Amino acid sequence: MLFIALIMSLAMPQEEAQAQELGKMWGTAEEEEKYYSITDIPIPPGIPMRPGSFEILPDKRLAVGTRRGDVYFISGAFDTPPNPTYHLYASGQDEIFGLSWRDGSLTITQFGEVTKLTDSDGDGTADRFDTLTNNWGYAEGHEFAFGSKHDLDGNIWVALGLSGSYHSRNIFRGWAVKVTPDGKMIPVCSGLRSPGGVGANKEGVMFCIESQGPWNGSCSLKHLKEGAFLGHPASYNWYQFAEGINAPTIEPQTNSRIAIEKKRVKELVPPVILFPYIKMGRSISGFRLNQTRGKFGPFENQLFFGDYTLSIIMRATTEKINGVWQGACYPFREGLSTGIMNVEFSPEGQLIAGGFTTNRQWPVRGETPFAIQRLDWTGKIPFEIKEINILKDGFMIHFTKEVDPDIASDAMNYSMTTYTHNYSAGYGSPEVDHTTPDINRATVSDDKMSVRLKINGIQEGHIHDFDLGKIKSLSDRTLLHSKAYYTVNEIPNK
Amino acid sequence: MQILCYPLRQGTFILLGLMTLALHAEVQIPAIKNSSLDPKIKGRILIEELNCTACHQEPTMMISSKKSPRLSEISSRLNPDYLKRFLIDPSGTKPGTLMPNMLNHLNDKERERVAESITHYLFSINKKAPFKITVPDSVAAEKGEELFHQVGCVACHSPRDENGKEIMKAKSVPLGPLENKYSHKGLIEFLRRPHSFRPSGRMPDLRLPQQDIEKISHYLLRKIKVPGNLGYMTWRGKVWEGLDGDVQKESAGQTKDFNLESLGKIHHQTAIKYSGFLKVTEMGTYTFYLELNGGNLSIGGKQLFSENPSNRRGTKKFKFSTNLDKGSSELELIYFHTGRAPKFIFEMEGPGMKKGPISSEMLTVHDQPIKVTEALEPDPILVASGKEHFEKLGCANCHDDLKGKINSYPEMTRLRPGNGCLGESKNTPRYDLHKDQEAMILSALPKNGLSALNDKERIQKTLVQFNCIACHDRAGLSSIDPDRNKYFKGSKPELGNQGRVPPPLTHVGAKLTNSWLTEVIMHGGRQRDYLNTRMPSYREKEVESLIELFEKNDSLEEMSYPKVTNIKESKNAGYQMIGTTGLSCIACHDFNGQRSGGAGALELIHVTKRLKKNWFHLYMRDPSRFHPTVIMPSYWPGGQAIRKEILNGKTDLQIEALWNYLSDGERAKNPKGLSRQSLTLRVADETVMCRGRGTAGYRGIGVGYPERISLAFDSEQMTLKQIWKGEFAHINHGSFHARGNERIQFPDGIPFHRLASMDDAWPYKGKTDYLFPQSHGYQYKGYYLNPEKRPTFMYEYGTIKVEDFFEDQLDKNGKAFFTRTVTFSTTAKQEPFFFRLGTGKEIKKNGKSWNVDRLSLNFHKDMKTVIREGESKDLLLPIHLNKGTTIIKIDYKW
Repeated sequence: MLFIALIMSLAMPQEEAQAQELGKMWGTAEEEEKYYSITDIPIPPGIPMRPGSFEILPDKRLAVGTRRGDVYFISGAFDTPPNPTYHLYASGQDEIFGLSWRDGSLTITQFGEVTKLTDSDGDGTADRFDTLTNNWGYAEGHEFAFGSKHDLDGNIWVALGLSGSYHSRNIFRGWAVKVTPDGKMIPVCSGLRSPGGVGANKEGVMFCIESQGPWNGSCSLKHLKEGAFLGHPASYNWYQFAEGINAPTIEPQTNSRIAIEKKRVKELVPPVILFPYIKMGRSISGFRLNQTRGKFGPFENQLFFGDYTLSIIMRATTEKINGVWQGACYPFREGLSTGIMNVEFSPEGQLIAGGFTTNRQWPVRGETPFAIQRLDWTGKIPFEIKEINILKDGFMIHFTKEVDPDIASDAMNYSMTTYTHNYSAGYGSPEVDHTTPDINRATVSDDKMSVRLKINGIQEGHIHDFDLGKIKSLSDRTLLHSKAYYTVNEIPNK
Repeated sequence: MQILCYPLRQGTFILLGLMTLALHAEVQIPAIKNSSLDPKIKGRILIEELNCTACHQEPTMMISSKKSPRLSEISSRLNPDYLKRFLIDPSGTKPGTLMPNMLNHLNDKERERVAESITHYLFSINKKAPFKITVPDSVAAEKGEELFHQVGCVACHSPRDENGKEIMKAKSVPLGPLENKYSHKGLIEFLRRPHSFRPSGRMPDLRLPQQDIEKISHYLLRKIKVPGNLGYMTWRGKVWEGLDGDVQKESAGQTKDFNLESLGKIHHQTAIKYSGFLKVTEMGTYTFYLELNGGNLSIGGKQLFSENPSNRRGTKKFKFSTNLDKGSSELELIYFHTGRAPKFIFEMEGPGMKKGPISSEMLTVHDQPIKVTEALEPDPILVASGKEHFEKLGCANCHDDLKGKINSYPEMTRLRPGNGCLGESKNTPRYDLHKDQEAMILSALPKNGLSALNDKERIQKTLVQFNCIACHDRAGLSSIDPDRNKYFKGSKPELGNQGRVPPPLTHVGAKLTNSWLTEVIMHGGRQRDYLNTRMPSYREKEVESLIELFEKNDSLEEMSYPKVTNIKESKNAGYQMIGTTGLSCIACHDFNGQRSGGAGALELIHVTKRLKKNWFHLYMRDPSRFHPTVIMPSYWPGGQAIRKEILNGKTDLQIEALWNYLSDGERAKNPKGLSRQSLTLRVADETVMCRGRGTAGYRGIGVGYPERISLAFDSEQMTLKQIWKGEFAHINHGSFHARGNERIQFPDGIPFHRLASMDDAWPYKGKTDYLFPQSHGYQYKGYYLNPEKRPTFMYEYGTIKVEDFFEDQLDKNGKAFFTRTVTFSTTAKQEPFFFRLGTGKEIKKNGKSWNVDRLSLNFHKDMKTVIREGESKDLLLPIHLNKGTTIIKIDYKW
């Protein structure tokens, strides 16, 4: 049961697994359903469908890569109601956690390699399994591999989990590597622990999900920057094999703060977005950029994340400040029926989400053993915080609907705390160093779609925890989700 | 008054006794009663079952007569006391027995003497292992009780209530008091090969696993009492939570004391309940010392000690006292062998005894004396006289395995009513026959030669003689006794009665192929795994003759089969219909070992081996014609196809297509929708692959080929790791493990290498060889599939491109082997290198091929090889490559 072990390692040490509760729900599912409805895509009995990755084919079928190592092509998944037909395209692979179609081939990322699957004789099933690379170490449990879609240059980015999720005993465990179309494996950055999904934001920059654990106070989104060190020093030992990348001269100190250590270890790139534990997921998995041209509602160009333990979907936005990526995350939808492993947008602008549960130990809120579900936008726009951007002296909050300017212009109606995590070799971290910045002024824009907050006391390296429970829309509605969490790595110079 | 009354009362009792004897002790052959046969045939069956022809010659009847039990080995199986009592009074000892009383003409004293001497004689033969009773295991007996009532025993013998009382005695084949008759070993031996002891197969061989036989024996003999010191019962599981929770009884028996070592190896997390009586010779206060994790002790019905066990701590010490009377006090002690460093010490001290363990002498299982059957030591004088009686009485006529002198008696045709065995004479064997039974025999006596039976009568007679009708109906010959019906059980309730009651034999000759019938009848072949009742195997000629008789006499209307011009198209239509997009047969039926989603109905791939084609055509049109309660619907109601789009909706073509498709048997392509949930990967007509950690390292690739041979390829070191035969693989979340058998393991390491010297180690991936095997110039490149889905592995060795293809083939004896084709392509001449083909203790040339231990490698072209000596030897093939392509072909046979 390797996978159970992995899931456990995503966010907590083994012995704590059973003791912990799943945490409170947001309590917004009923209201969310009015805007984003959940539909099951039926799975016929007999098909071992434990989805680990999705892709949309040029003929608009849904491709699913499974734990068992099968690839199914599903037609009719996007129909209303779904009328799916399952076609087995390939089998006999090893736990597929990455699917990407390009130029007539489907590239999959499996435990041991990146493989290009091709149907060269046109019979509808793959007959060529060209290995692009299998040159990373794979000789222990927990050594998962998550793959991205092709980037603009046709590379697949692979995030490699640690050996046993604590050590790095085989080459490039804890690194992200880039696999070129001709099969060259290029090490990119070190310092990962138990990564999940890998993907790009709207600027095409590659990120991956990291799990709470040693050197990680909470789950986070990390920037796979070339030459970067992303926080967990177990993988330092492979620099000697990474041509062209200079090894950091020092290691981070434990019981410190990221904001302090990034000044000491210049290669350390801080997490882009911190997801406060349990408030925003516990085992974040795959994510995907929404570029559905409005078909999925008002959140174009934002990232959507699945969470394994809490069976929820979350959103995030990113921005580059002073050359460093940072951003905010927002609650989106809860009440899915299984542990979500990955998500994908359909051509119709629906969000496909799927995954499975394991039958022991690791708790999952959605109890269906495996499922593929679909979130359809009902066409109604929810009143939501659309995006938060940082300013030199505060934040700009964008809404999906016009706000009531009387309420929104009163700074007293906003509440904000900040906190960060201990950066240490110990497992996870409580929220520490709490502050309460002063919100001096709230200015509503002319179109009433955004509010500029002038703030005294923005904290570098902190999560800025927004509570906008008092804000109302013009039609007197409160926000569907009043919470948002902005991670400040940098404050703009101008 | 008393004097007057006494003889009267005694007389009444005797009279009543005789009446009960007459009512219950008559020769009991339930199948005769249950069948609707002509009384004359019933009489003939009686004659044959009583083996009358052993004395009264009748050549035809003799052939199908029941031979009497073999006596040559009874000394190790039977209790001598039982045998003696049985000889004195057969039907009193085993009511319903077919054995006549042979000593009826003697007075009580003589009868006893003769019985004794015959017992001595029979026990003098072949006395290898003396009869010995052993303690029954009451835990095994509980399982045995379940088996006895489910596997088919109670189809003939009486079911029993919880106290072991036979509840359908009058309608059953009698067993008698088995606990007085058999030793555990003896009964097991009998159940394991009943034909050896009762050669006519009336007791057939159920072919039960040894463990099940043992459990049934423990059950049937559970009333045996054996003297001993201490009884015990053990439990395994979470014993620290008590004995009512997640624990399982393991075994029971007797032991000599409280020393754990007396029980052999004790597993951690075991509970032991000791029970028996504690004997003290003096009244007084006794003190007990216990050291253990937890347990309970009661003596004389008084609880003296109780400590809950815990698996989290070690042992504790306890001391307590109680007054004991002189004599025996009942004792029960439960000990929990759990926690840290489990240990058990139980000691006592008291008047006249120092502190110490309780000795065996102070312990007894039973507080009353138990009579023990002593092994019989044959007395030569008695043996000699017993042999004489045995032959004089005519015993050897029936029990002819002892090759004793055979007496001659009047031939069957000369027998007349009112005389001999059925007459009043005291000097003939006495059979306890009901008057109806007598009448049947008389009606069947061949006065002027035997009238021949027709086929139907022959079939029915055999079905009755072997009590086939206890389980199978055949056109109203019999039906399962309503009281017995509930004992027929199955594991698939969804299948209704068909899922629990063995199939009827009506039309069976028109239904089943002769080869399958032979398999079922003679070898206990079974298809219906969901029936708990086992089909026994028979060896008898008469049963075998049923196969031919069924075929000759069971005929149904003949169907005409359509002409199929395109067999491929036909099979394909069959494939479509069976799958979930067609008629979805696999929704209910298993297919090629894979369980159906629902009912678990009969496996389909054996259909054409088992069934006659004519019957298949008839059955498919109207299943309920053959089984009125069948749940299978008709897909051709009124002969009209439901699926019009398949083969133009032609009923006969569609049914023929199913037949053609299924006739591929295990090679039939897996139908659409067949469950892939199973973790066991099976191979049909296409190669199946899997990969992950397991049989060939972490980057292993398993390939199962249609000819039922498989290989595991290590894609990290690019080497063949294992080949095997039979079943393919078991998979589970990113791992796979070889199943099957006859595995050949290849050594760890890369396939090609340039050895600097013959003493150099052959390179393999060590734990810290992070760049291996790329550091040796290797790069794995994947594989491609040919149209039959067989993979060709691709990899690079330096600038050499390698393609590695395995094909499963059959030799002329039908044995599967691999032909491996390795293709090297290079743009320039290469430095020579070695290809390591195998490593073994012994490498020998054998004609054109090389044997590496069990593996034989045969080169298609003669090639020079090098054997590298060592503790294990390497078979190396030097490779010299010039520019272009070089192909090497090798057969792998094992």
